[in-house]
Amino acid sequence: MTAFLALLRRDLLVASRNAGFLLVATLTQPALVVLVFGNILPRIGLVASEFRTVMVPGLMSITMLMAGVQAVLMPLAADLSGTREVEERLLAPISALGVAFERIVAGGLQAALAGLLALPVMILLMHRVSGVDVHPNWPVMIPLALVSGLLSAAFGLNLGTRVQPRFSGLLFAVVIGPMMLFGCAYYPFASLHVLGPLQYVFLINPLVFMSEAMRYATTPDVPHMHPALLFGGLFGFTLFLTYVGSRSFLRRTIL
Amino acid sequence: MSASGATLVVEELVKTYPGSRKTPPVEAVRGLSFAVAAGEFFGLLGPNGAGKSTTLGCMTTLVRPTSGRILVDGLDVARQPAEAKRRLAVVPQNRNLDRDLSVRELLVYHGRYFGLPAAERERRADRLLEDLQVAEKRDAKPLTLSGGQQQRVMIARALMHDPRVLLLDEPTTGLDPQARRQLWRTLRDLHAKGLTIILTTHYMEEADLLCQRLAVVDHGRILAMGSPEALKRSLSAGRVLDLWLRAATPIEARLSALPGVLRVEALAREDADELQRLRLFVEAADGLLDRVLHEVRDHGGQLDHVSLAPPSLEDVYIHLTGKELRE
Repeated sequence: MTAFLALLRRDLLVASRNAGFLLVATLTQPALVVLVFGNILPRIGLVASEFRTVMVPGLMSITMLMAGVQAVLMPLAADLSGTREVEERLLAPISALGVAFERIVAGGLQAALAGLLALPVMILLMHRVSGVDVHPNWPVMIPLALVSGLLSAAFGLNLGTRVQPRFSGLLFAVVIGPMMLFGCAYYPFASLHVLGPLQYVFLINPLVFMSEAMRYATTPDVPHMHPALLFGGLFGFTLFLTYVGSRSFLRRTIL
Repeated sequence: MSASGATLVVEELVKTYPGSRKTPPVEAVRGLSFAVAAGEFFGLLGPNGAGKSTTLGCMTTLVRPTSGRILVDGLDVARQPAEAKRRLAVVPQNRNLDRDLSVRELLVYHGRYFGLPAAERERRADRLLEDLQVAEKRDAKPLTLSGGQQQRVMIARALMHDPRVLLLDEPTTGLDPQARRQLWRTLRDLHAKGLTIILTTHYMEEADLLCQRLAVVDHGRILAMGSPEALKRSLSAGRVLDLWLRAATPIEARLSALPGVLRVEALAREDADELQRLRLFVEAADGLLDRVLHEVRDHGGQLDHVSLAPPSLEDVYIHLTGKELRE
């Protein structure tokens, strides 16, 4: 446990030193989307103003996904393709599984923080716009953001250990991009009933549960998924991705 | 092999890397056994691909042995990895310093990973920076350091948690001659203070100079083990006489019949200049060169040049493997 906490402390120290860079990297996207879809387009009249309320929790979940994936993927890709800094961690008195878990926890904390910071940024950018109906329930939102962060980081561990670094550009085009578009970030899951049974295909996307969780915690008036499905999916995906990600990590690091 | 009194014991170690559809399995280590006593400076000498790094990897839990076991201070590395890792320290082949921290920070954090109390890790970091002559780089990021400096920081990092055994994987590869000599001095000082050191190398000179005992390894097996002196003595030759010559007829048998010549080995031709190379293990060199010269001339051969030297580890290696060390 000592080694685990020491590694976590080291990762958070390095992240806090890069805070400026990390914040720009993760908050630019939601800020710009809010500016265009929450401000400009509704004024022109091209987008219904209710959309603003719908997209705020969705953008929080996208921010967390991006931050979590990046926090784990970047150092891991560098490690596995040459720097092997991970070997120092593996030689510490901690199991290799512990090293993998630490990566997920460190990435998850960063991701949750990024998501929670995105919320005030978005509210600030739309503060003079009417029709934004966001009422964050902080005691519910913070733990849900933490779980969503862990899910994102565990997803990043899978990508980092299973995808060769030269394909990481492709990763964003064919994996992260579709996940964001089909992740119920810009529309609530309940509204997908228009698709009929097809709406259940969306449930293979873990981002759906993150978006719905944020919706559950911030915009109570927007219809959202049944809590049983929501929590089952969120925790289920977190555990599943942690399990398969750690296994993949072990396979890549212990020969 | 007795385990009593040994700090590190390797028993019948086997590692076969599984193949894939396109690559066959690789038998990197095929049954290595040796024991290293407390305070010993032990070397694994062999060419690239001999299985040295895999053996080291098995000692440090980074490679899972296919079979066999490794004991550190009596602890089975596979069964009690965390406890074993506290007793081991590794200076890996590639430089893997934490590039996001300063030199001093990365030492202190290493101490933290091993649960050293705050005051102790600070004190040790400062002392090791001094000892390894990198104190002036304490606030620099590792990537701004020279190769030799990074190497010394890696040794300082390894010593932070006060290990019983220090493992070094090809520590001087890629260092300039000056940095290499400095590193040798450092390692000898550490050994003099009682640290058990295990080093892999493919440099004969390094193995000869540093190691008290050596295992010559090739293709995952130990070919010979002993002190550098004993290995050289095992050739039972006072001198090694190398001949580069052009011979019309095979001449090895003639030469080996000469008094004072113990054995003749034909070595691979070095290049296309058609010189044949013969190695004569001889008792003493007195008057021998003259007899050899006559023998070659009498058979229509022509001696191009010769070299006469006491047996070296290189000769041992060539004798054992029938080839020169692949550099």
